[in-house]
Amino acid sequence: MKRFFSMSLAALLLSTCLTGCGGSEADSPAGGSEASQQSGQSDNGGALKGEITFWHCFTQGVRMEAVQAAADSFMKDNPDVTINIETMSWGDFNTKWKAGITTGDLPDMSIAQNTGEVAEMLNADMLAPIENVVSAVGAERFSENALADMTKDGTKYGVPYYSHAQVMWYRQDLLEKAGLAVPKTWDEFRDAAAALTKDGVYGAGVSMSPNDLLCTRYLNYYVRSGGGSLLNDDLTANLTSDLALDGIRFWVDVYKNCSPAETINYTVNDHATMFYQGITAFDFNSGFMISGVAGNREDLLDSISCAPLPVMKEGDPYYSAEATHIPLVIWKNSEHPEICEAFIEYLFKDDNYVEFLSAVPVGMLPSLTGISELEAYKNNETVVRFADEASVITDAVDNGRAIGFEHGPSVQAGLLTSQGIIENMFQDIVTNGTDIAEAAKTAETRLNEIFSTQAE
Amino acid sequence: MNLNKRPKGSFGGINGSNITRWFFVLPAMAIVICLLVYPLMSTLVYSFTNKTMTKTTFKIIGLTNYMNVLKDPAFFSAFLHSLIWTVGSVLGQVIVGFVGALSLNRIKNKTVQNAFRICAIIPWAFPAIATAMVWKWMLNGIYGFVPTSLMNLGFTNEMLQFLSNSQLVMPTLMFINVWFGAPMILVNVFAALQTIPQDQYEAAQIDGASSRQSFLYITAPHIRTVVGLLVVLRTVWVFNNFDMIYMITAGGPAGASSTMPLYIYDTGWTGMMVGKASAASMLLLMFLILLCVLYFLVIGRWEKED
Repeated sequence: MKRFFSMSLAALLLSTCLTGCGGSEADSPAGGSEASQQSGQSDNGGALKGEITFWHCFTQGVRMEAVQAAADSFMKDNPDVTINIETMSWGDFNTKWKAGITTGDLPDMSIAQNTGEVAEMLNADMLAPIENVVSAVGAERFSENALADMTKDGTKYGVPYYSHAQVMWYRQDLLEKAGLAVPKTWDEFRDAAAALTKDGVYGAGVSMSPNDLLCTRYLNYYVRSGGGSLLNDDLTANLTSDLALDGIRFWVDVYKNCSPAETINYTVNDHATMFYQGITAFDFNSGFMISGVAGNREDLLDSISCAPLPVMKEGDPYYSAEATHIPLVIWKNSEHPEICEAFIEYLFKDDNYVEFLSAVPVGMLPSLTGISELEAYKNNETVVRFADEASVITDAVDNGRAIGFEHGPSVQAGLLTSQGIIENMFQDIVTNGTDIAEAAKTAETRLNEIFSTQAE
Repeated sequence: MNLNKRPKGSFGGINGSNITRWFFVLPAMAIVICLLVYPLMSTLVYSFTNKTMTKTTFKIIGLTNYMNVLKDPAFFSAFLHSLIWTVGSVLGQVIVGFVGALSLNRIKNKTVQNAFRICAIIPWAFPAIATAMVWKWMLNGIYGFVPTSLMNLGFTNEMLQFLSNSQLVMPTLMFINVWFGAPMILVNVFAALQTIPQDQYEAAQIDGASSRQSFLYITAPHIRTVVGLLVVLRTVWVFNNFDMIYMITAGGPAGASSTMPLYIYDTGWTGMMVGKASAASMLLLMFLILLCVLYFLVIGRWEKED
């Protein structure tokens, strides 16, 4: 009996080791492409045939409905095609695909949260080339920066579905009431935020939840405005430069003097909601602010506007610290990449694309040239009303890249924002009073440890 | 006669066959292997490797992960928080549940008793996400009902930061967990109290025993095994609890409410270091097994005494 058990246990252990050490399906060449491309064609004149799964994070009603409507319409045009759409929160998406690498539960196509995440997917060797889509839609119609951020060894692995960028949002009514001008430098911003922190309004929130990226984003604004970077040229983390330490000091100061204490645990959604509800006077975000405010405090819509990110000192050149292109990618494991390609092309058809962008006007800016000239797009009520703000954001999109991508696409840039380490560092400084230089050094070491583990 | 011995070359009947009885237990064994042995062995194996979330290949690195975990201050901080969280929560749940059950047992009207029992179980019946969200909203330091009320009533000068103050966050979470878990103890202890024969109390009363003596020599011995088992179960559940803390504070601020499950999650899922997370999981498992063995030794002794 004992022998039986010990032998079973040994066999089990051995099989576990072998299972773990062996290559997985993901290691094998993408089964998908050739064989399945053939199997994906039906007998009637090369029409598409097969079933694909599409993961996206457009959980808000209108965007979700627009994508579903496009899928339904595509399936109607291609009766032998089934598109299964699975939605999940942005926060769950990263966890889900990473777990999927081990479990095999991966989609055929998906969005990605940003181009940094595409770099992580490429590092895991999970994506299929998307050159056919780029050619079909027209490479010249996409932003050069956006395509470059999703290119590896000369091959493109993602196309931007929509774009936005970080700018400074403010409440005009509060500034006017206090006799303040729109801040142009960081010092002016801090002073204005401190002056507006009264009567139940806070100057600006500094949110630090490690489940999100806000501290990384804020620190990146400051460092980029000074011409620096959170990554060194060798792609190691750089949180201990004088500029980075100044930036940490600056945001801790803003937190202590202008932000509700509660924001120490706040995520992006909690944070943005404060501005939507009129709790904060300044915020840094994209054009999504407009729909957020409209949904929460429509009476404030006339009082909000945006400006470029503050600079270090008056006269410094214009910069854009963070532009985000939400990519569409095709997964290497897909058995029907041809259906994914056809569906992505379909999503970019003028009517479908404008309908999708209209779900969050100005929030989602077109990633294709020519769209903003279409009557259906430019006649949108919100686009007309917030034309100046759209122009500020468009400039930031055109001139910006993802956080850390000033050194080109890298998995380190993606990891910089997905680990919550910079957020933990800020929490540590605020909560435990840890010395800024010491906390920065610890965070830098932790980031570099993860970089070396993941980017081998 | 040796009953286990069967004729050569024969499968024999139920009594005589080794193979047949293995067939009977095979389904149960398969379930145990799938649900327990395989994940356990996977974790054990991964703990000796440099496995990461996004790489499908890995190599054996010996005890490096265990050394790294034991050198990590965040591990010891999380372990300490886990102990505080577990002891505080379980103790609170047992005290509140026990007192509630004794009070309920004193109510003679069955309708009132049942109504009270149903009301008491409501917090336990809530999904953890609902509980977490409601408490998070009520305790919000900007507009939450609780800090606003405390300030408006003059108990505090400013909005109390229950979830963002490192001194308050752990007691607050333990309070929520006591609120959440005490009903389960209440219902079980109440059920045990119902099984105590009333004639024992009557005999004690005739013999002149005080209420305290009745409790110590009749009530306590009758229910201590039930309470002991509840404590074992709650200890393991609370120690491994993830959802409540994750949804309310995610371990913050600055790890002030980070417990072992959150540390393992952060290491494995956020940091993607599956090998290191597995090593931490194995250490946690060993600790819990040790704790359970100690508990069961005590409970075993009580049962023998009974």
